[in-house]
Amino acid sequence: MSVVVARVRALPSVQVTLAIALLVLGFLVAAQIAGEGPRIRYSTEERSPLIETALNLQSQQESLKGQIVAARGRIGDLEAQDPGAAESLRRLYAELEAARLSAGLVAVTGKGIAFRLEDGTQGVDALVSARDVRTLVEELWLAGAQAIAVNGERVVASTAVLDIGGSILVNSAYVSPPYQVTAIGPADLYDRLRASVGFVQFVQGRVEPAGLRLSVAQLDSVDIPAFAGSVNLRNAAPVESVTP
Amino acid sequence: MTSPATPQGSATPVAPVPGARARPASRLAVAVVAAILGVLAIGQLRGQAGVPGLSALSSTELTQLIANLNAGNDRLRDEASDLARQEQKLKDAHDRGQTTVGELGSDLSRIRAWAGLTPVTGQGISILITGPIGGDGVEDLLNELRNAGAEAIAVDGVRVVTGTVVAGAPTALSVENHPIAATFEIRAIGSPQILTGTLTRTGGVIAQVTTTYDLAQITVTPIDSMTLPATERDLTLTDATPKL
Repeated sequence: MSVVVARVRALPSVQVTLAIALLVLGFLVAAQIAGEGPRIRYSTEERSPLIETALNLQSQQESLKGQIVAARGRIGDLEAQDPGAAESLRRLYAELEAARLSAGLVAVTGKGIAFRLEDGTQGVDALVSARDVRTLVEELWLAGAQAIAVNGERVVASTAVLDIGGSILVNSAYVSPPYQVTAIGPADLYDRLRASVGFVQFVQGRVEPAGLRLSVAQLDSVDIPAFAGSVNLRNAAPVESVTP
Repeated sequence: MTSPATPQGSATPVAPVPGARARPASRLAVAVVAAILGVLAIGQLRGQAGVPGLSALSSTELTQLIANLNAGNDRLRDEASDLARQEQKLKDAHDRGQTTVGELGSDLSRIRAWAGLTPVTGQGISILITGPIGGDGVEDLLNELRNAGAEAIAVDGVRVVTGTVVAGAPTALSVENHPIAATFEIRAIGSPQILTGTLTRTGGVIAQVTTTYDLAQITVTPIDSMTLPATERDLTLTDATPKL
């Protein structure tokens, strides 16, 4: 040991510096290559303004969603403080709260599971696609899930999950891998899921052959955010019930 | 110019000692390695910061993403404006000491219609499907309808709501425990032009689905007025509670 130390000490400092620098260089090159993964990285100049625009729009989207959730909260508070105290009014307010809950407009919590779906290591098939995320979501619904979110985006009746290149849009929000699908449901939600033929086919026919990484955690408490998108009807009108 | 890297004041060459001055060639090597190291380190840091996933998109995909984000943000702005108006109306009513029963009623009606708890009427499209198609193919069509802004959808007369999944192999499809006939119709309320255009565009979802299910025939027809039923599904959440 002391011989090695003596030899190192005998080396000119410039050689030691060079050796260390080359070591770090090798590490960085390896990290750069490993970081490429199966997703291609483009680096042309004209893309910078596009990325900047996309980032600005994402930032605007976050801000608008925050405004919508806050406004819905304030409206709920105002409705709860209605000066009318009639029983019919209280019933109407209770119905409204129940409808908001059913529609996914209220953040909820409960027992559930969280899946993490990640790209595999080789080939285009090793990228997680919108179809993969949708399949997982559909299987969770069929197993009895009552509320689901993908990377924090609440899945509701109007939710579309789309491919954009190798990434995904959920509720028009850009979400990047790894994809986290969280669900609240009955205590045996995961057992039901594992017993589902569709889920087994998804794992054996898609996840395993493509080398995708699917991990799951059963949790005592899962928080699912409220849907922060539009519930406006432009073309559809409610059909009023006919009272006898 | 720098002096040679030999210890000053020594008549005979000696072994290099720590701290001895390096030869120009060695210094140049260290400088080159340090420069490469710096470029790589900056590249690595930039690559890990800020834009996860966006760097994997091509210019065309970024343009597509920007179009989606713009459309989504427009819908969110409309929603935020509507909510601001609703909030102001409620505040005005409170200030005047008036009841807000009218506001509550219309809010309830809109949310129940959006969630699928009441029937809705409006213009839209009919998609007639004949021949064998799997549940995944139908789900692809529903996903594209949602993306195109469909406000209400029904499959074979069954309203599609949060948690509804069309599942099964071709000729054995079902939705909400309701078996689907060999020839069936999907109806969607929304802009007929946008819905039709999105579904039938070259390389669009119908082209993709009929590539997988080549015996299936899919026909899209605009409809001026239709009524879709309410869901029979119980949307009450029993395993999830509002997060306070």
